Amino acid sequence: MELLNRYLHAVRFWLPKSQQEDIIAELGEDLRSQIEDREAALGRPLDEDGLAAILRERGNPMLVAARYLPQRSLIGPALFPVYQFILKLVIVWILPPIFILVVGPATILSGRDPSLALVHTVWTLLMAAVFAFGVITLIFAAMERYPHESMLKWDPRRLPRVPPAKAATRPQPVPGYMAIVELLAAIGASLLWLEVMWLRTSFDFNGVTIALAPIWRSFFWPILLVTLSGVPIGLMGWLRPWWMRARSCVRLAVDGVTLVLTGALVNMGPWVRVAAHNLPAAGMADANRWANVGTSIGLGGIAIITLVDAVQEARRLVQQRPVGNHAPVAVRR
Amino acid sequence: MYTVQQTVSSPDLFDNLRLELRRGCLVLAVLAQLRVEHYGYALRKALADRGMAIDENTLYPLLRRLESQGLLVSEWREEDKRNKRFYRLSSHGQGVLDRLLEEWQSINSSLTRIVEAQAPKKG
Repeated sequence: MELLNRYLHAVRFWLPKSQQEDIIAELGEDLRSQIEDREAALGRPLDEDGLAAILRERGNPMLVAARYLPQRSLIGPALFPVYQFILKLVIVWILPPIFILVVGPATILSGRDPSLALVHTVWTLLMAAVFAFGVITLIFAAMERYPHESMLKWDPRRLPRVPPAKAATRPQPVPGYMAIVELLAAIGASLLWLEVMWLRTSFDFNGVTIALAPIWRSFFWPILLVTLSGVPIGLMGWLRPWWMRARSCVRLAVDGVTLVLTGALVNMGPWVRVAAHNLPAAGMADANRWANVGTSIGLGGIAIITLVDAVQEARRLVQQRPVGNHAPVAVRR
Repeated sequence: MYTVQQTVSSPDLFDNLRLELRRGCLVLAVLAQLRVEHYGYALRKALADRGMAIDENTLYPLLRRLESQGLLVSEWREEDKRNKRFYRLSSHGQGVLDRLLEEWQSINSSLTRIVEAQAPKKG
């Protein structure tokens, strides 16, 4: 029965302390009854192989213990699609471009051993992705554990109106989950900007220091206000999805400010300074040039994205017309 | 025109649906069987003998849940020189069982009417 005791001990490990004795006593009694019946059927005592077969049938100790625990998920099916979307956004679309355009070139070109610097850059990117994964998962687990009232209590009468079937090109309200993504992205970007500009203005990678140029300080408050503007925009899209015109106006204004700031920044380079110990002047110059080329490409990308967004919001504003009647929509057969 | 999409093989699909159907009846079967006192292993055997085989890893957590809900009571007693936990219906459990049995009869009647109404006419 030593094997049986080992099995029960393994199941006990995964059980809540307050229920261990009770559950193990009952489980042990059930297994002993099953062993007795098997021995009676065989007409002889069970050997270790026979006992192992019974225990294998019963199942892995961890899975057996899990059946006694309340069934719950860290992130439920309602929030999981949004969680998945944000993970992809950060780990695929935000972190890699930053490392490819700025950090990577600066580190590789200024390092004594470019291949080692490449490995270090990739490793740092992986660690950043793991950190982002952990933070995002924690946030969504908290949202799952403490759901907002708007998810549980909602009024169907506050849903946005359905546009008439004929006007197929009329703009649609932003889906709720996209508004939440905007909100979280705005909070994340604001915190990142605060961390970058307030707590530290330089980053060390394997002996290479990348520091932000002093001109960024002049733009600290305008950039912070632009990133924070995503918070009311996200809140509007989430809690008041029918405020489409107001939301479009605010976004258009923020896009305008962003374009002005980006235009001003583009003309005020260099934007970063790269420093490394024991590096020849030529290597340092190359590293600085590539880091600033990467930054200018990034700024150009921001300007293009902002311009496209501004055009889309302007089109939304033009296409939105107040809907004054509640006549039923004709259904085409 | 109806189109058929089959993403699960037929035997697996039938097994899954059969499991869902049986899972819905487990609580009723356990409560009905515990009108007479049983300990866990004997309860499992009694249910299996009557065609309601239930996995041990399903039965014991279910018994604990039903007890925490006040439908069952249990006590440890010595029998054949071994400590065993005996379960039986509580008075609250008896009331719930009676209502579940009525519900079961109602579902059974409804299903019979649906099946008979949709049965192909023999001509």
